[in-house]
Amino acid sequence: MKTILAVDDSATMREMVAFVLESAGYRVIEAEDGAQGLDRATATACDLVITDQNMPNMDGLTLVRSLRELRDYKSVPILLLTTESSDTMKAQGRAAGATGWLVKPFDPATLLEVVQKVLR
Amino acid sequence: MTQETKGAADATDAERAADLLVTVASTLNERLAVTADELARSQSMLREASEELMTAFRGAADRIVAAQRATAPELAEKTAEYGVVLDHLYRAVHHLQSHDLVNQLIDAQKLRVDKMREKLEEAISLADPPIAHPGATQQWIERSRAMLDCIVAGIKQIDDDTRSPRSDKKQAGSVDLF
Repeated sequence: MKTILAVDDSATMREMVAFVLESAGYRVIEAEDGAQGLDRATATACDLVITDQNMPNMDGLTLVRSLRELRDYKSVPILLLTTESSDTMKAQGRAAGATGWLVKPFDPATLLEVVQKVLR
Repeated sequence: MTQETKGAADATDAERAADLLVTVASTLNERLAVTADELARSQSMLREASEELMTAFRGAADRIVAAQRATAPELAEKTAEYGVVLDHLYRAVHHLQSHDLVNQLIDAQKLRVDKMREKLEEAISLADPPIAHPGATQQWIERSRAMLDCIVAGIKQIDDDTRSPRSDKKQAGSVDLF
């Protein structure tokens, strides 16, 4: 079973993402900000990371950069799931090493489709 | 009118203008206090509705995920109703996300109102110390100018916060794979 790390400071959003992915057979672990996400990712080998951008302690882009510095996360897909939708932010995400950018609110079927695609 | 009388009249006018500015700032501050209360009340109502929805969602989601895991693969065709339940839950996902995002927008509005109220209170406090020479027009003008600068700084802060273009609605749900 593939393990997915969902990082978001909103408990509602984490719950939504976890439900959608668990109902498709994935194991989901959660973190409420970038710093906790980094800890979780270090403690558990994840097959995919889905993170929000605007969070306290450590934002999504910093988390992406930090994960890309770890040997185990050089090629693990990382998706940004955020309300931010500007091209500038997306370019920053790409430069930081993110695999993709999804804008909230998300459609559950689309999220699953993207997850399946990047995990293939 | 002698030079002295004219100077006294100018000082009185300048003092009235400064007083008027205090009245305007105080009234605006009171109105914003009402807005802040209404925003907080809206958020609390939204939170209550979200919690109700979330409780129902959690109960249904936990059961469907557990049932899916417990079902043997050979019985998969007999569990087609899972799909129907999932469709309902996915619709709930949309509602809950919307509530969450509206909550965030209200948070941003509350922050802007708070910032503006801080600036208005700062402007009002500038009128507190007594003027050393009440007959000196220039001192009243300087006081009014300082108060206006404060109010304008508050408005600018709000403008800067809201200026960033938001095309979220149009972009919502969009996907970019790099």
